Amino acid sequence: MKVDLKEQFLISPSLAFFLVHSMQIGVGVLGFQRYVAAMVEQDSWITVLIAGATVHVIIWMMYKMLNKEKGDLISIHESTFGKWLGGALSFLFMIYLIALGTTVLRSFIEVIQVWMFPMIKTWPIALVYLISVYYIIAGGFRTVTGVCFLGVVIPLYLVFTFLAPLEFSNYRNLLPIFDHSVKELALSVKTMTLSYLGFELLLIYYPFFKKPETSQKWFHYGNLFTMFLYLYLMLITLVYFTPDHLKRTIWATLTLWKIVRFPFVERFEYIGIASWVVVILPNICLAFWAASRTAKRLFHVKQKKALGFILLLSVIATPFLKDRQMIDRLNSLVSEFGFYFIYGYIPILFVCYYIMTKVRKKA
Amino acid sequence: MKWFRKGSKQEDLSLYNLIQHFTKSGDFIHFHNPQSPKPYWISYYGSLVDAEIVHRDILPYLQDPNISGYEDFQSAVPIEKVEITSDLETIQKKMLAGSVLIQFSENDNKGALVRAEMNKAREVSIPEEEFSVVGPKESFVESLTTNLNLIRKRLPIPQLAIREFTVGTLSQTRVAVLFIEEIANEENINTVLQRIGDLKYHQILDSSYIAQMISDNENSPFPQLIDTERPDRVAGVLAEGSIVILVDGSPHALIGPTTLVKFFAALEDYFINWQLASALRVIRLFSVSFSILVTPVYVAVLTYHYELIPRDLMATLVSSRSLIPLPPFLEAVILELTIELLREAGARLPTKVGQTIGIVGGIVIGTASVEAGLTSNVLLIIVALAALASFTTPVYKMGNSIRLIRFPFLLLAELWGLIGIALAFAFLMGHLLRLTSFGRPYMEPIYPPRLEDLKDAFIRLPFKMQPKRPIELQSPDTIMFSGKKAQEMNDIDE
Repeated sequence: MKVDLKEQFLISPSLAFFLVHSMQIGVGVLGFQRYVAAMVEQDSWITVLIAGATVHVIIWMMYKMLNKEKGDLISIHESTFGKWLGGALSFLFMIYLIALGTTVLRSFIEVIQVWMFPMIKTWPIALVYLISVYYIIAGGFRTVTGVCFLGVVIPLYLVFTFLAPLEFSNYRNLLPIFDHSVKELALSVKTMTLSYLGFELLLIYYPFFKKPETSQKWFHYGNLFTMFLYLYLMLITLVYFTPDHLKRTIWATLTLWKIVRFPFVERFEYIGIASWVVVILPNICLAFWAASRTAKRLFHVKQKKALGFILLLSVIATPFLKDRQMIDRLNSLVSEFGFYFIYGYIPILFVCYYIMTKVRKKA
Repeated sequence: MKWFRKGSKQEDLSLYNLIQHFTKSGDFIHFHNPQSPKPYWISYYGSLVDAEIVHRDILPYLQDPNISGYEDFQSAVPIEKVEITSDLETIQKKMLAGSVLIQFSENDNKGALVRAEMNKAREVSIPEEEFSVVGPKESFVESLTTNLNLIRKRLPIPQLAIREFTVGTLSQTRVAVLFIEEIANEENINTVLQRIGDLKYHQILDSSYIAQMISDNENSPFPQLIDTERPDRVAGVLAEGSIVILVDGSPHALIGPTTLVKFFAALEDYFINWQLASALRVIRLFSVSFSILVTPVYVAVLTYHYELIPRDLMATLVSSRSLIPLPPFLEAVILELTIELLREAGARLPTKVGQTIGIVGGIVIGTASVEAGLTSNVLLIIVALAALASFTTPVYKMGNSIRLIRFPFLLLAELWGLIGIALAFAFLMGHLLRLTSFGRPYMEPIYPPRLEDLKDAFIRLPFKMQPKRPIELQSPDTIMFSGKKAQEMNDIDE
């Protein structure tokens, strides 16, 4: 089933680069190193590469399906599993998207609360943030893509700030290479893939590309760029922190910023966190946009109304996530779901979809 | 206009009655000359008609004994397009535009209309808002005819099309839409023509009325059309494929579709060499972001993030702020408002008084308030610089927007420090991304990213590197010029 959209709402295929990259980089970047290094320590950078490679395979699978269907996840579900079961699965995906957006927002507010304003209430920031999210999404997918683009380009200067800790780093930390078992590597790869999550939203915004087939190249480049960024950060983290130190550092990236120093600025992490408002804006916008778009396709309601409802739900939900434990639990819940969705469900869907189309053709 | 309406039910709707109605007006002249060989009636609005034309080019020919009717008169008078008509609507319209009506009998239902309007216009003078040291020094005046002449002189090609409208039920303002055929995008032209055609308003006093009414988003603080007083700028953008709107009675032309970065491009950038122009542009863009962000950052840092400031700088700041009773936010708001107040007073007052006020306000109040311990001198410097920086925008209206959007930033900075500033920035970003100008994206070439158009955005590359029209304008004729430089060195010493 083809999903048709008016020409004026479509975006150029090359923007796929920014869509995928902006969604993958989020709050996770601020502290992903500890989880990955917990098992493989100095070999973490290998993990980053392997996890990135597996993502490419999944992207290829998704494009195979989407190119054939010329639609989105909802239409794939419908043609594979029928209206009701397919609809239910799409609904589940929508819940995941809402949870994803809310989690990102809540985790970021947690960072603000821990690093900048310990006493600040959760809901006012969530409210103001989501009002701007509503305003952006109401401008349509082109505006959301614009935010993704600027959300990558504007904070790009931060990449250079991570060079500062190199002054105090010890390159012997990287040795010995390949010092861990395959099992340990495999488990850490699983953890690392969580940092790559976010590209699955392609299943919703695929029909918004002009000549969507041509966007695949850019999508892969985007993921490749994410991989290099993670590799860069991981290497700097590994040479700067000793393994024991890293295990005790929740937000390693933020800690790296403590080294950055200018004649006019000390405590650079404040500026980093403030810049991160712009970095996670695409995450939240895209997640809620995709959720409201799914709602529109499933229930045939106005996207504006669905969006308002979803955002309201999110504002109400954030203050209930009170402490570190709850946020951490929600985080791992959402990422576990994302992991099984991508590495379990998508390959299954891929096979089912191909069988179903073959069956349909014969019938 | 009220007296004559199409299809009105008035019984005796004759030319005689129309003239009788006009005579009620004090400046209407209506007289009979029975002495001439062929007696005639002449009527016109004395306030609209150039008396010299009447005396020199009309009256002598009426005395001519050879004239026996309207046709003879039409061929004798040395003025183009003498119209003989009995259509009351035309007669009324033309007379109100400065035509003279000649009748050979008072009860005749037709008459000859001779154009004799008075053209009182200001002399073409030096541009004041967009002055540039190098380059042409002409600026538009209030007369549409003069303005069109200034543009036509710079583009003497038949493709330059002018579409005229009359807007305003009371003011009957002439509005001209200019574009170059086959260069301007058809869709853009239709958008503009349609929007101006649909305008319903009673009075158009200036082109900014039109600008506000045809803008894509009327609720945005950002201008979505560039207004300029320079004919050279207009000619330049016409050649790129933009559309220009001129309004009679307004010395400002409107240019669209446009983008955000074009508001920070001065025409002077094209008159000086490209390295210098690029540097100036970068300074301008820097000063704009400085102007928006600096006071909010001051408030944010001094309210919440003392740790951000290095020790040495901290000492300076603390010593300047140690005696100030106000929190940074109030201090900043008061100073910002003072500057706005000074600017506003300076804008309203006559030039000479304005200078005095500038000195009193800027120097006396500034120094006194620091000495009195009401404001810190660091903030005074910052606010004054920010105000100065906002005036570097070449388009005046953009400077105003820049000064306005500083206040929401200040408020959010007071609420949540740097996070608040970032949130305000997110809003601003979303707003700018949503804006369009005649349906074209406002943020181009930043978003949608178009590398090709970056050649004339943040920097200006040399002319030979700009052979193509901006993609933004979607011109059907993309190549502006082609051809290589006459002399190009192939190798060293060759």
